[in-house]
Amino acid sequence: MHAIVVNGLEKRFGEILALDHVSFTVETGEVFGYLGPNGAGKTTTIRILTGITSPSGGSATIFGSDIVRDTIQARRNMGIVYETSNIYDDITAWQNMMFAGELYHVGKEDRESRGKELLEVFGLWDRRASRVKGFSKGMKRRLTLAMGLINDPKLLFLDEPTSGLDVQSNLIIRDVLRSLTERGVTVFLTTHNIEEANQTCDRVAIINRGRIAAIDSPERLKKTIQSVQSVEVAFEHGGAQALSALSGLPMVSEARKVGDKVRLYTEDPGGLLREIVSYADSHQDRVVSATTFGPTLEDVFIRLTGLRRPKDGREEP
Amino acid sequence: MIEGFDRNQLAAEAVAAWAIAKKDMIIYYLKPNIIIAGLLFPLFMFLAFAAGKNVPLGALIPGLISVTILFSSSSIEPVSIPIERRTKTFERLLSAPVSLHAIVVGESLSGFLYSIGIALLPLIVGIIAFGNTITSPLVLMAGMLLSALCFSTMGTLFAAYPTESPGDIMSMLNLVRLPLIFVSGTFIPLDAMPPVGVAIAYFSPLTYGNDLIQCAYGNPASFDPFLDVVMLVCFFVIFQFIAHRLYAHFNE
Ligand SMILES: Nc1ncnc2c1ncn2[C@@H]1O[C@H](COP(=O)(O)OP(=O)(O)OP(=O)(O)O)[C@@H](O)[C@H]1O
Ligand SMILES: [Mg+2]
Repeated sequence: MHAIVVNGLEKRFGEILALDHVSFTVETGEVFGYLGPNGAGKTTTIRILTGITSPSGGSATIFGSDIVRDTIQARRNMGIVYETSNIYDDITAWQNMMFAGELYHVGKEDRESRGKELLEVFGLWDRRASRVKGFSKGMKRRLTLAMGLINDPKLLFLDEPTSGLDVQSNLIIRDVLRSLTERGVTVFLTTHNIEEANQTCDRVAIINRGRIAAIDSPERLKKTIQSVQSVEVAFEHGGAQALSALSGLPMVSEARKVGDKVRLYTEDPGGLLREIVSYADSHQDRVVSATTFGPTLEDVFIRLTGLRRPKDGREEP
Repeated sequence: MIEGFDRNQLAAEAVAAWAIAKKDMIIYYLKPNIIIAGLLFPLFMFLAFAAGKNVPLGALIPGLISVTILFSSSSIEPVSIPIERRTKTFERLLSAPVSLHAIVVGESLSGFLYSIGIALLPLIVGIIAFGNTITSPLVLMAGMLLSALCFSTMGTLFAAYPTESPGDIMSMLNLVRLPLIFVSGTFIPLDAMPPVGVAIAYFSPLTYGNDLIQCAYGNPASFDPFLDVVMLVCFFVIFQFIAHRLYAHFNE
């Protein structure tokens, strides 16, 4: 059975079309990445799939249960880790865990043994009796994750689980994800971090402005992603002439002027740098500065959809 | 199969509702603004009325109990729910595998228990300090429990308004709660009110709760106690229904 089936999902907030006919399928046991920049519609998708918000159009099922008509049944098998660490500051870590267990109707024995196990895994067992108020951001994030797992879910929603965390918290979370997938738990994870999607996901959907641009394995998306690395160069004699000369190179997929600099997109920044230097040498010019940039999500998205680069902050078809 | 499933879900709803109530008790019962709204405010109202009238203090106790229940039972959710909207913990409840009914009941339950606890104070002080006698304890219990049920649900109902600031809800709620004190026969008996006041009193649940409590103290009742009970149950069901509808509506 499919873990998640999403069909033509639409969500309007007044004038804003936050989700525009989004469709995808997540297989059982898969780690599905939902990659998109700020405001893309990632959280909105999770809120619909968990039944907090109702869709304006389209449908979604979780292990075969319709999320609108059969909300409670659909929720029984899921764990949710929200974008903000939403835990109760005024009670202890342990009380938070037990409360989450009771909300999901986990029996007393089970929730106590699982609660202990999870707090240990997330490195919070020693602080179980402390009020959450004094916890660091990373500790709060880990507790939120632990609470999301108290009902031993078959499907886990993670809304930007590692964003803004330190290395230690990140490592723990990655470890837990790995052991979950080994046990066959399906994971739906949102992120705006390409590297994270690449490292943790079996498949990745790229979403921007409410539309899915591509769904593929990270390996295949990587090719697109690789092609949008770039080098930004400033020449002593300005860039206009260099732009036309360098944009003709086979390794340059796109070139444009950025202020008095030239921005060149390529999958081989190292090779391009050599070409740039030899161009400068042969044209009695000098490279004042050169910076290489990794792929940005916006770049990947534009490449995938063939949209033109935003001029006034909006894309044009 | 269907029956087993339903029973299991019912148990899940009960466990979740009770967990929500317990959580509110631990977190909010001792918050200063809740104590002020639930305990001190009715006390000051009582003193104000007592100072302006030539009746023995003990005679005002039943009215004080009614007003205390009104304020204390409806003061928890209007504070806790907006705060939990802000910290996004409310979404935890909204996304749990239970119905909205369980959430509304659980939230109301903490206000209910709180107000019963608080209302015992004037009850006991009345007996010890003013020599109050309770002629029908059963009627008193019915009056207190049903009032608490009604008003805690009313508090949850008002808290449905989608704001993150408790002040917003408190001021809307006070727009309703304060006038209720004057038109429900708590400190001013119904027969001392102009006809308009009496007409309004019919629409106030506080009228029927207070009537039961007055009756339990042996004071003349305005209605048949049975009618009071029926009216309070009706108000409770209506509040529960509207609260459920509002949470569903604002949760789009
Ligand atoms: N309750 C709401 N009312 C109005 N607009 C909303 C609401 N929730 C989301 N939106 C809009 O929907 C769009 C998608 O928002 P969403 O929160 O899903 O993005 P996101 O991909 O999660 O972004 P981020 O990376 O910042 O978390 C945005 O334009 C946002 O302004
Ligand atoms: Mg988001």
